[in-house]
Amino acid sequence: MIQARDVVKTYVDGDGTQVRVLDGVSLDVAEGEFVAVVGSSGSGKSTLLHLLGGLDVDYRGDLRVGGVTLRGLGDKALARFRNTHVGFVFQSFHLIPNLSAVENVLLPSHFGAAPPDARARAEALLERVGLGTKKDRAPVRLSGGERQRVAIARALFGKPRLLLCDEPTGNLDAATGTGVIALFQELHREGLTVLCVTHEERMSAVAGRVLRLKDGQLVEERAGLQVATGGST
Amino acid sequence: MRLDALARLVRLSLARERKGAFFSSFGVAMGVGALVFFVGLGLGVGAVIREKIFPTDARLVDVVPPAVSLGSLLGGGTLDAPTVERLRALPGVEAAYRKMNVRVPAVTRYDGVFFGTRLRMGMEVLALGVEPALVRGDVQLGEFQDAGEGQPIPALVSTRLLELYNKTFAPARKLPQLSANMLVGFGFPVEFNRSYVAAASASGPSRPGQAQVVGASDRALLAGITIPLDAAVRLNRAFGVDAENYSGVTLVATDPSQVPVIVAAVKGMGLEIDDQERRMAENSGAAVALTTSALALLSLLICLLAAVNIAHALSASVRARAREIGVMQAVGASRADIRAIVLAEAAVVGLAGGAAGTTAALLLSLGVNRLAAGYLPDFPFKPDSFFSFPWPVVVGGVVLGLVAALAGAYFPSRRAAATDPARTLAG
Repeated sequence: MIQARDVVKTYVDGDGTQVRVLDGVSLDVAEGEFVAVVGSSGSGKSTLLHLLGGLDVDYRGDLRVGGVTLRGLGDKALARFRNTHVGFVFQSFHLIPNLSAVENVLLPSHFGAAPPDARARAEALLERVGLGTKKDRAPVRLSGGERQRVAIARALFGKPRLLLCDEPTGNLDAATGTGVIALFQELHREGLTVLCVTHEERMSAVAGRVLRLKDGQLVEERAGLQVATGGST
Repeated sequence: MRLDALARLVRLSLARERKGAFFSSFGVAMGVGALVFFVGLGLGVGAVIREKIFPTDARLVDVVPPAVSLGSLLGGGTLDAPTVERLRALPGVEAAYRKMNVRVPAVTRYDGVFFGTRLRMGMEVLALGVEPALVRGDVQLGEFQDAGEGQPIPALVSTRLLELYNKTFAPARKLPQLSANMLVGFGFPVEFNRSYVAAASASGPSRPGQAQVVGASDRALLAGITIPLDAAVRLNRAFGVDAENYSGVTLVATDPSQVPVIVAAVKGMGLEIDDQERRMAENSGAAVALTTSALALLSLLICLLAAVNIAHALSASVRARAREIGVMQAVGASRADIRAIVLAEAAVVGLAGGAAGTTAALLLSLGVNRLAAGYLPDFPFKPDSFFSFPWPVVVGGVVLGLVAALAGAYFPSRRAAATDPARTLAG
């Protein structure tokens, strides 16, 4: 699903110093894997996620995601890639405040070929994440956990094969976070490839593989515990 | 990006920022409204000048003999029959119509009932003879030709003179308002070779005559009567004054574009062009155009300010929505999509402002016309409407609103499209 070779990402900070955020990262993720990427703040986890999702194209090295070589893709092709190949889940949910839950889920349909049953599919996804009765609520009227579930439903709308999650439980309390983790496990069991950047021990505990980044380099790779969670959708 | 999706996102965005959108739209409406109003006013007043005050035909060239001509000493510079034939033969000339003044003074003394009002007055009369074909379309009674000694002379009055009479002379003297139709058939005495202000120019006694109004014409002499050429020739002969040379010749060009060529040829013959009316029309038109342009420029400045306001509002909006834009990019929006959303928002604001401003200008013009009709005193050439709104002005107003808004949105849309989703979505 993911092949990364010698990926280097640098930027120039405010002092004019060149900072190497990712320093020759290479990794492979097979289809259907659940991979957790851990590391301290500033280790390059989120940067790696953005590169894999085609949000950042300024890098050196080679990236191939879902059979698509990202280097050289134009803006439209990259947008199409993000619309159909990957789904993003962010720590801060990033829902659009003046759209209802179902309209947030429908957002990807505005930028790609909208299926004829788009609304029905969005409602089914909300049902799937346990928010069928709250589909018309604005994000402000949803709890943190509910917002994250809406964000997950939105990430799944384009039927992606890869889910990229950036600290998805970072803003949730323990109980809510457990429910979200269980949802990811369920999606993984259904065949979705999940790559999750996290500080959350429980998240790395349910992953099949854990990668540790330090100072922009992959310093550790170990099998996850694949602990079953009690929570469920 | 599909149009329906774009429309939906724009609608949602504008609904959220309706206050800002309203003020942006209001700014556009002010500029567009002012522009459409002033342009409509300029066109309306210009049309009155062109069509009523100084009606000019772009194909007509009025030729007159030179005021001072050395050529006349050598036999040139006069408008005799051979010269008229040469003028008629000039390239680009379709027809030539001769004119001859009655070269003795004339007066009218009226003492009787004038359309229901007792009138007793005397005044000098200028008479100009013209070829019937020049004014044929304006003659409403009989043939425009000299019926001979002792018979009434057909006379055309100027439509502008009639307007001046109706708006100034008649109200001041409590005389009735007249239309051209009412005047047709009206007869009045004319005494030739007699003047109240100067000695008669020809020897011999004066001769009484009768003139009968047969219509009103834009081509008629402004301060006098226009009679058949044959009548003018006959009267001049009768008084022993020049009946061979014409006072002027009106040339009709085959096409307005031929006029400069004809003018050059006429001047080459030692003759002059009487373009006083045309110049007055042009000068008045230029004055109106200048005033309109100044006001239109002011309006355009308002539009420019509106565009700047839109630029500021959209820039602030784009900054505030950076994260939202990043989310759209994350779920599949391309840079072009983001640019399209911002531009479409501005387009809606601009179209709404343009349409509102244009509508307001049209309504305001109706109000002004109504006020003018009700409160302004009647004056010569007072139009029913001071405005003219041809469709390009109306459509142009709406389009200008659109263009101003899109111009204002240009840089904000580029800034929005350049949003770095990785940066805005971090954390």
